Amino acid sequence: MSDAPSETENTPVEEIDDSTLVTRRELMTLLIGAGATMVMATTLADPIANLANDILGNRPKPSSSPYHWVMVIDLSKCVGCDYCVYACQATNDTKPDMRWNIRVEDETPQGNVFHVTRPCLHCHHAPCVEVCPVGATYSRPDGLVVMDYDKCIGCRYCQTACPYGARTFNWLDRNDENPLVPEWGRPEVPRRPRGVVEKCTFCIHRIDYGLANNLTPGVDPEATPACVNICPVNARFFGNLKDPNSTVAKIINSRPTLRLREDLGTDPSVYYIPPEGLL
Amino acid sequence: MSAHAHAEMNFVPLVTPPKKGRFSPLFILWIVGLIGALGIGLVSAVHVLFNGLGVTNLNNALPWGLWITLDLSSIALGAGAFTLSAAVYIFGMKQYEAIARAAVLVGLLGYSSAMLALFMDIGRPDRFYHPIIYWNVHSVLWEITMCVVLYSTVLVMELVPIIIESTFLHKYKLAMSLSHRLHSLMPLAAVFGMGLSLLHQSSLGATYGILTARPIWYSPSAPVLFILSAVAAGPALTLLVTILTGKLLNKQMVPDNILNGVARLVGFACLAYLYLKLWSWAATNYYSRVPDRALGVEILDANTPYNFTFWFGEVLFGALVPAVIMLWGRMRRNRNLLMLGAFMIIAGLVINRWNVTLSGFVIPMDWSPGVRDVLPLNTYSPALVEWGVAIGVVAYSWFAFTLGVRFLNLYPEARAIRRKSVLPAVVIDTPLPIIEAPIVVSVVVDENPEEPIVSLADEDKTPDESDEKEI
Repeated sequence: MSDAPSETENTPVEEIDDSTLVTRRELMTLLIGAGATMVMATTLADPIANLANDILGNRPKPSSSPYHWVMVIDLSKCVGCDYCVYACQATNDTKPDMRWNIRVEDETPQGNVFHVTRPCLHCHHAPCVEVCPVGATYSRPDGLVVMDYDKCIGCRYCQTACPYGARTFNWLDRNDENPLVPEWGRPEVPRRPRGVVEKCTFCIHRIDYGLANNLTPGVDPEATPACVNICPVNARFFGNLKDPNSTVAKIINSRPTLRLREDLGTDPSVYYIPPEGLL
Repeated sequence: MSAHAHAEMNFVPLVTPPKKGRFSPLFILWIVGLIGALGIGLVSAVHVLFNGLGVTNLNNALPWGLWITLDLSSIALGAGAFTLSAAVYIFGMKQYEAIARAAVLVGLLGYSSAMLALFMDIGRPDRFYHPIIYWNVHSVLWEITMCVVLYSTVLVMELVPIIIESTFLHKYKLAMSLSHRLHSLMPLAAVFGMGLSLLHQSSLGATYGILTARPIWYSPSAPVLFILSAVAAGPALTLLVTILTGKLLNKQMVPDNILNGVARLVGFACLAYLYLKLWSWAATNYYSRVPDRALGVEILDANTPYNFTFWFGEVLFGALVPAVIMLWGRMRRNRNLLMLGAFMIIAGLVINRWNVTLSGFVIPMDWSPGVRDVLPLNTYSPALVEWGVAIGVVAYSWFAFTLGVRFLNLYPEARAIRRKSVLPAVVIDTPLPIIEAPIVVSVVVDENPEEPIVSLADEDKTPDESDEKEI
C-alpha cells in the first residue's frame, strides 16, 4: 500500500497519458492474475468437480446396499390374462384408470402378437427423480424409486418426464369402492390423497417387511410383489440382482434380455425376456 | 364542447374536488368487464380448489395444458422489467427510466399472474412453499421456482419506491427513507434481476428441452429460444400498454425516442430469436433426420394445426413481420402499426408456448418393444373451468395495471398532447384527490404554455435521428 504513491511518482507518464487503454502495471496485474487463476483452476479442478458432483449430482452414487431389486418379465410366456394388473390394483388400491401396472398388446416384425406388462421400471437414472422440484420422489440405495406423498406438490413434472408413462396423478378425491377387492387381494397400503402423483413401488411394504422378518423377497410370497405371486404362467420373477444365486441374476446372466428404451440411458430395473422373433 | 376544450378542462381538477358521475362510459365498461371476469375466475378457482384438478380436461397422458401455457407466457411477457431495468441501471441508459417503471409493474403483474396460475395448477396448493424448504438442486423446475420467488422479491423492491412516492405514503418520513434506501439499491437489484431472469427464463425452455423421452422437445436450443423470445415479447408488451395508455389518456406517456429505442431493441431481439429458431428447425428437421422426431412431426402434421401455426403464427407473423415493423423507421413511427407489431409478437409468443407445451404431449410415447403403436394419440382442449381461471388471472393483471396507471407515477415524463382527439380522455376524466402524479405533470405543462408540446401530428415529419444514437 505504502509503495503505491512512490510508484506513481516514478511513473508519471502513466498518470498523465489518458489515451493508454491499459497501463503496464495493469497489464502485469492482469497477466499475473490470469496465471494464478489458471494454476489454481488446474490444481483445484478435481476437488471442485467432485464437490460440485456431490452437491449437484442427484444421481444415486454406487451404493453399498447389498440389494438391487429387479424384476424379470418373460414376454414369451405372458398370455395377457391381466392377473398381475388386477392383483396390483387390489393390493395397492388403485383406481381402474390409474393402474400402476398395465398391459398392452404389441407385435413382432413377423406379425406375432405378444403382451407387454409394464410396472414402474425403477430406473437407476430415473428422469422423474431428476426433475422433481422438491425431491418428493427419490432413489433408495436398493434401487427402488419411491414417492414421499407428504412432500409432493402435484406439479406433474415427473409424469411429463417419465418415458414410460408409469406415473399417475390423483385428479380427484377417492371415494370409490375397489371392485377387485377382495377377489384379487386386499389393500395393503393406504389410499393416496388427492393432488399427489403415485406409482408402482415394487410392493415396497412387502420387501421391507420381508427383510425385517428374515424372508427373501422373490422367494417368499409374503415378501414378493403381488403381481409376481399371482402370475399363472410364472412369467414374472423378482429378486436381488446383487445375489448371484437369485433367480433373476441367473436369468439375466444367462439369457438375452431387453429393457425398455435403453437408448434413453435410464438404466431400468425391469428386464424383459423377449418373445420369439423380437431379438 | 370540442375535444380540445374538453381536454383543457381536465387539467383543472387538481384543485377542485372530483365531481360525481364523471367516469367516462368506456372506463366504467372496462372496469365492470374486468370485475366480471375476475368473478368468473374466482368461481372457477373455487370449483377447482374444492373438487380437484379432475374437473379440468387434463389427464395422465397430458398433464399440462392451458394454465402452463398461461404461466409460461406471463413470465415471458414480464421480461420487459429485467431488460429495461438492465438498460437503465447496468448499461447506463438513464433516459429509459421513462418507461422502466411501467415495465417493472408489467413484470410484477406477469410474475404474479404466473404464480396464481401455478397455484391453481399444482395438485397440492397448500404445499406451494415446499420447493423453498425441500431442495432438489438438480431439478430445473426447482431452480425456476427459486428464481421466480427471488425475482418477484426484486420486482417488489423496485416497485415499492414508486408506490411510496406516488401515494399518501410519501408524507411519512420513514416511508420516504425506505424509498430512498431502496432506490439506492436499484443498480444491485437490476444486476440480480438480470441474473435471475437469464437463469429462469431459459430454464423454462429447459423444462422441455432436457426431456430425452420426448424427441420433439429434446433440444439444446430450447432454453435460448425461450429467453430470446422473452426479451422480444416482454418489452413489446410494455411498449403496447404504454402506447395504448397514452392513446386513452390523450397523453404522450414517454418521449418518442424512448419508444423508438425500445422498439428497436424488440426488433433486434425478434431477429435473434428468428435466427436461432430457423437454424434449430433446419438442423433437426431439414438437414438431419432422427426417426422419433420425424415421426413426431408427421403425427403433428396429420392431426394438429402445429405446422401452420408454427410457420404463420410463430415465425411469419410472430417474429418476421413485427421485426420489420420495429426496425423500419417509417413503419415504427406509425404508432398504430407499432402497437400492431407489438401485439403480433405477444400473440406469436403465446402461440409458441402453447405449441411447445402441447406438441410434446400430443405425440404418444413409444416404450413398447414391438412394432405396433400401442398408445393412442393424446388430445386436449381446455375445459370451461380452465378458461374461467385463465380469464380471471388475465383480468387480475389488467385490472392491477389499470389501477397502477391510475394511482402510481408510472410514467415520470408523461405529457399531455394538445391535439384534436376522437378518443375520450378516460382516466383524466375521473380524478380522485389522491392522484397527484399524472396530473401534476399536466399542470406543469399548463403553466408553461411556451414549453414545446409534443404532438402526434408532428411525428411523421420528425426525422428518426434521436433514437439512432440510443442503441
